[in-house]
Amino acid sequence: MQQYLLEFEQVHYKYSGAQQSALNGLTLRIPSHKRCALIGQNGCGKTTLFLLANGLYKPHKGTIRLQGKALQYDHSFLTKLRQKVGLIFQDPEQQLVASTVEEDISYGLCNLRLPEAEIKQRVEQALVEFGLTELATRPVHHLSLGQKKRVSIADVMVLQPELLLLDEPTAYLDRLHTRNLMATLKKIHAAGTTILMATHDLDLVYRWADWIFVMDQGQLMLEGKPQDVFTQRDLLEELQLGVPLIYEMLFTEGSAEEGAVLERVRQRILNLFRYF
Amino acid sequence: MRILIDTLAYTNRLRWLPPEQKLIFASTLLIIAAFAHPFVQVLIAVWMSIWTVIYAGIPPKTYIKLVYVATLFWLTSLPALALNGVDTSHLHLVSRDSIGGLTFGSYYIYISHKGLEQGLTILTRVIASVSCLYFVMLTIPFTEILRILNRIGFPVLLTELLLLMYRFIFVLLNTSAELWTAQQSRGGYRTFTLGMKSLALLIGQLFKRTLENYRQVSLSLAARGFNGELRFWHPHRYQQSRRYAIEAILGCVVLIGLELITDIGI
Repeated sequence: MQQYLLEFEQVHYKYSGAQQSALNGLTLRIPSHKRCALIGQNGCGKTTLFLLANGLYKPHKGTIRLQGKALQYDHSFLTKLRQKVGLIFQDPEQQLVASTVEEDISYGLCNLRLPEAEIKQRVEQALVEFGLTELATRPVHHLSLGQKKRVSIADVMVLQPELLLLDEPTAYLDRLHTRNLMATLKKIHAAGTTILMATHDLDLVYRWADWIFVMDQGQLMLEGKPQDVFTQRDLLEELQLGVPLIYEMLFTEGSAEEGAVLERVRQRILNLFRYF
Repeated sequence: MRILIDTLAYTNRLRWLPPEQKLIFASTLLIIAAFAHPFVQVLIAVWMSIWTVIYAGIPPKTYIKLVYVATLFWLTSLPALALNGVDTSHLHLVSRDSIGGLTFGSYYIYISHKGLEQGLTILTRVIASVSCLYFVMLTIPFTEILRILNRIGFPVLLTELLLLMYRFIFVLLNTSAELWTAQQSRGGYRTFTLGMKSLALLIGQLFKRTLENYRQVSLSLAARGFNGELRFWHPHRYQQSRRYAIEAILGCVVLIGLELITDIGI
């Protein structure tokens, strides 16, 4: 079992016409079987990182390794890469291309040239898992945003990737759908998939992630477990990121004799507040 | 945003009949309507409308509006058929044909009896053909028509293009609706000149967004393993209906029979 699923080593990437590099010597290692979160300001390079991870763009400098082996950019390797690493974009509208929901889910499988019986079985399984059975024959443009989001997740999950990359999955979703999404991710993680989510929602990050990466201007600034990362408040304030509300509330200065009691209360609340 | 015709194609009661059968049925009637006498054409129009409105459950108001649009075209070409003009010296040649007319200088412009007859035959053919086409449009979803075209040998490149265009019509409509609303809420269409300027901005934005959208979609397609062909799996969930099949075949036979009889009779 590989310790790191995907590794970036000193990766540089610059969009043509841009003033600065999107990724500036990024070194990042995604541990297997963990729930990872990626936080950073807008424009710090999160989306670029995902696009490079899926082999859609080639880095100008540096290497990317999948399970220890460097990425090659020939057709067969990329096909295997895109089956192992699933990428879900922020806007579901741009991910849906087919006419009906089940056809869209079958698209990835058809590209893998699987036999029809297996495609049929996997599509039906995905429909059941994501609660899409009544929507199976509905055309894509008749769906609401939350439903489109679910379909875009099912699209990628049906390929059974080992690493799932999500670009701001809770944007555009209300509380109900966010909760549903987190329940789905819990199932996916329990089945053995590693998840990396880029998000702005720090409270969600606190409650869900096992490991956090903090990025700024194309480089990795900080990584670690949530309790460790969020204690570095000064650094996070400098990066204009801040800390979750729960940390703000619990870590204001108190008097000395309250110290131990406060510490126990904090620990209890922090543990209670975690998602699962 | 939903286009009514498209929604009806996905939600009518005949949706689950095999689309090949529906297409063959409508094409057969279309061919018959092209060659038949007006009486048979009217029968075809009425029968097709029964299929569309009563069996498929399309709302009558929508159907009548659609047929009305088609007949409007006919109405605009009626003057060209019915009105005729001759030199006053030839007046005696057309006196039997003309129903009524006016003299302008050395020309006599009149309503021709023959022309009107021609107009009427065209009308019956129009409503017969249009009812067949509307049956196809309103009961068979567009993507299923594309599948059938694929199977009969239509170039795959064209069907893929049509499929993508179909999907992105809705994205385009949505985006332009959003842009229009945004402009309206800032007074973009208060006066005509302002409206024109806003419209120009809107169209420019749509181009830009289309390019951006294209880039995103190609990335998402590639991320799921695009390898040059757009292929999807399609479950065949169609249910044949003996009752409809029998009615369709019987009806066609009766119509062809009637046509042959009127042929022989006349």
